[in-house]
Amino acid sequence: MTNHVLEDRASATTTATSSDTKGGGPAARRRRSWLRRDETLGAWVLLAPYTILFLVAAAIPIGYAFAISLQKAPTLVNPNSGFGGLDSFATVVGDYRFWSTFINIFTLMAIWLPIMIVGIVALALLIHASPGRFGGAMRFVYYIPGALGGIANFVLWVYLIDPVNSPIAFLWQGMGASTYKEVITPGNMPFILTAMLFFQGIGTWIVVVNGGLNGISDEVLEAARIDGANAWQLAWHVKLPLIRPWVGYAALMNLAYGFQLFLEPYLLRQISSGSVVAEWAPTQLGYAFAFTNRNFPAAAALSIILLLITLGIGMIIVTRSGLFGDEARTRPTRAQRKERRTA
Amino acid sequence: MKTTRFLTAGVALAATALLMAGCASGGSTTSGGAQTDSGGKITVWVDPPRVPAAEAFKEAYPDIDIDIVQIDGTVGGQTVRQSFANFDSAGKGWPDAIFFPSNDDIAWATNSTSNYAADLTELMSDTIEGYDPAVISFCDIDGKIRCLRNDAAPDVFWYNKAFFDEKGYTVPTTWEEYGDLAVKIAQENPGKISGFLGDAYAINRYLQAAGCPTNDRVSESEAHIDLSADGCVKATKLLDTMQAGGALSTQGIFDGDAAEAGANLVMSPGAVWWGNYLFRDTWKIPAGQMTAAAPLKWEGDSKASTGNEGGGLWGVSSHITGKQLENTLTFAKFVATDPRWQVDLSTGLPGYGPVQEDWLAKIADDKYFADIPTTQAAFKSALGDVQPYSYMLYDTGSVWTQTVPSTLIGGGSATDAIKAFGDELVNQAKSVGYTIVTE
Repeated sequence: MTNHVLEDRASATTTATSSDTKGGGPAARRRRSWLRRDETLGAWVLLAPYTILFLVAAAIPIGYAFAISLQKAPTLVNPNSGFGGLDSFATVVGDYRFWSTFINIFTLMAIWLPIMIVGIVALALLIHASPGRFGGAMRFVYYIPGALGGIANFVLWVYLIDPVNSPIAFLWQGMGASTYKEVITPGNMPFILTAMLFFQGIGTWIVVVNGGLNGISDEVLEAARIDGANAWQLAWHVKLPLIRPWVGYAALMNLAYGFQLFLEPYLLRQISSGSVVAEWAPTQLGYAFAFTNRNFPAAAALSIILLLITLGIGMIIVTRSGLFGDEARTRPTRAQRKERRTA
Repeated sequence: MKTTRFLTAGVALAATALLMAGCASGGSTTSGGAQTDSGGKITVWVDPPRVPAAEAFKEAYPDIDIDIVQIDGTVGGQTVRQSFANFDSAGKGWPDAIFFPSNDDIAWATNSTSNYAADLTELMSDTIEGYDPAVISFCDIDGKIRCLRNDAAPDVFWYNKAFFDEKGYTVPTTWEEYGDLAVKIAQENPGKISGFLGDAYAINRYLQAAGCPTNDRVSESEAHIDLSADGCVKATKLLDTMQAGGALSTQGIFDGDAAEAGANLVMSPGAVWWGNYLFRDTWKIPAGQMTAAAPLKWEGDSKASTGNEGGGLWGVSSHITGKQLENTLTFAKFVATDPRWQVDLSTGLPGYGPVQEDWLAKIADDKYFADIPTTQAAFKSALGDVQPYSYMLYDTGSVWTQTVPSTLIGGGSATDAIKAFGDELVNQAKSVGYTIVTE
């Protein structure tokens, strides 16, 4: 590694020298070009692990999926595959379950996302407004369910929705349910999933948004306090506008996560001994295309459709949330605009 | 600027994909290729209840090098199907013999896109001769025997003899009597039930028993589905009567929380293996209560007609040859016919005729059933009363579990539920690629 860099430096010096004999530029420029080359190399070295992972785990599979999606699925009549153009996309969109899987996801989102975002913001603001040991302790408490992670959180919920043994069994019995099948009905699915996803994600997102809150400079808060803002006004008029990018980021990341749901509905189907449809979420429909219908091109096409949706959401995060751009491209907050005007 | 860069990246990705599509389209996904020979070592896939079968083989044939892999045994589960879709695409990786977790699996395993299951007609002709034609018929795909049955699983009529004696009820002999008595019992003894509707086998218990064409294979690409046929109407009417009378549970026999309902079951059509597996081992119903009678008749019929719930299938790989194939066939013969597994260890009535008597004799020693001679006679007579049923690429049981219980729990009638089931079944059959015929 060091050898490599040294060699490179040496070659950089030689090229610089040779250009020197030709053009005869000043020493300062030579130094700058050497620096730039070194920086470029450094950048590539730092990027390499990510680039390799990106190629192996994202770019190549995506390219492969796209390639497969353009093939023709072998059928009983014609077992040969070949180039099929966009036929698989038509198969997917024309499938009788395609729209219902998206309706399921949108129903879930309509219930879950508002609760999630309001919950994240409210709890993060509360924690930020209670400094000291209490705030820290609460932050930890909120984080615990998130730390349980996917499967553990799921197992916990299997227990919670058990209408006989759960500590909240009275709730289910009050609704007239005495078996898993009576709790996990199509109508209850969005609510059960909302509860699962809320507790799974809330802790992590409170920490993220709290990070945004910690980034607000003390002077701003102090100025507001001197102007006579109480805790509520401070949170609503000062903190909330300043953490808007983080809230937007949380909303969009959760939205993207929603489109990729697979495990939760898949396992709820097993718990209810098959009374939840096998193709509840779009990803499950893709799974059915691949392994029930043996139609890999259609499964790949559905993956590409989901990729486009989540990629679109990702693009919005990158270009609109203001979290990634440099100062100039972010939309200035009202306070900043005012500041600029007075200046 | 940024948009241009994204566009360039997109175009590059699309170009690569097209190139790869061009390369990939040369191949074909049908599994052909030469048969291979490991020189003797075999790999077998078994679900948890069949692990003792493989272990018994290992003990009986210590010279054969065998790798036993335990697989997910969920009926209607997708993991095994998923593995095989991948093996078929890769052209390698298959086990040499398998106990299929769902009987429906034989449909894809013999389909031209997979062709995993070897034709055993010639390879194991002497073993096949030992089966009652009605029992082995489930393995008959277009005239070729593509699997061996582990156990025969015809439905008999189960009832709680202790309860019937105490209350003075008469055991029904027709389906119509069963429906009427079920409602009467539910009225006179609240909480007592006479059937389960929430599991994948309910379809066999009621619709297959009525000769309703849900699974009627016309050819590899044609399925006959007609929920308006006489049999379906008859079965729907029966279930409607019982459901409205509060005599049925929306749970399924395999539900983890069904033990309470199971203890309240006073009568029901059900497979031979219900006796040991459900009543004795799972629901822990005391000995001397449950007993089996012969299957029911439909009014006006001269002969009983019944369904079949499972009765697992053993398959052998079509991708092997030589010593590896020889050892695999030895394994298949052992697990299908050898008393060391079939009589000593298996909970179901053996599918292979010559060992059935010994297994039936064991029931007498167990002294679990209330009326042993009638139970033994019922098990034997039911074999010939099973109505035709083919295993298809669509999973009828899963379609049933995701439509019927939820419709009933949502307040619908049995008629509504079976309507929803029929519609979904046709959709799914079309989605898999079948042409539906209604006659």
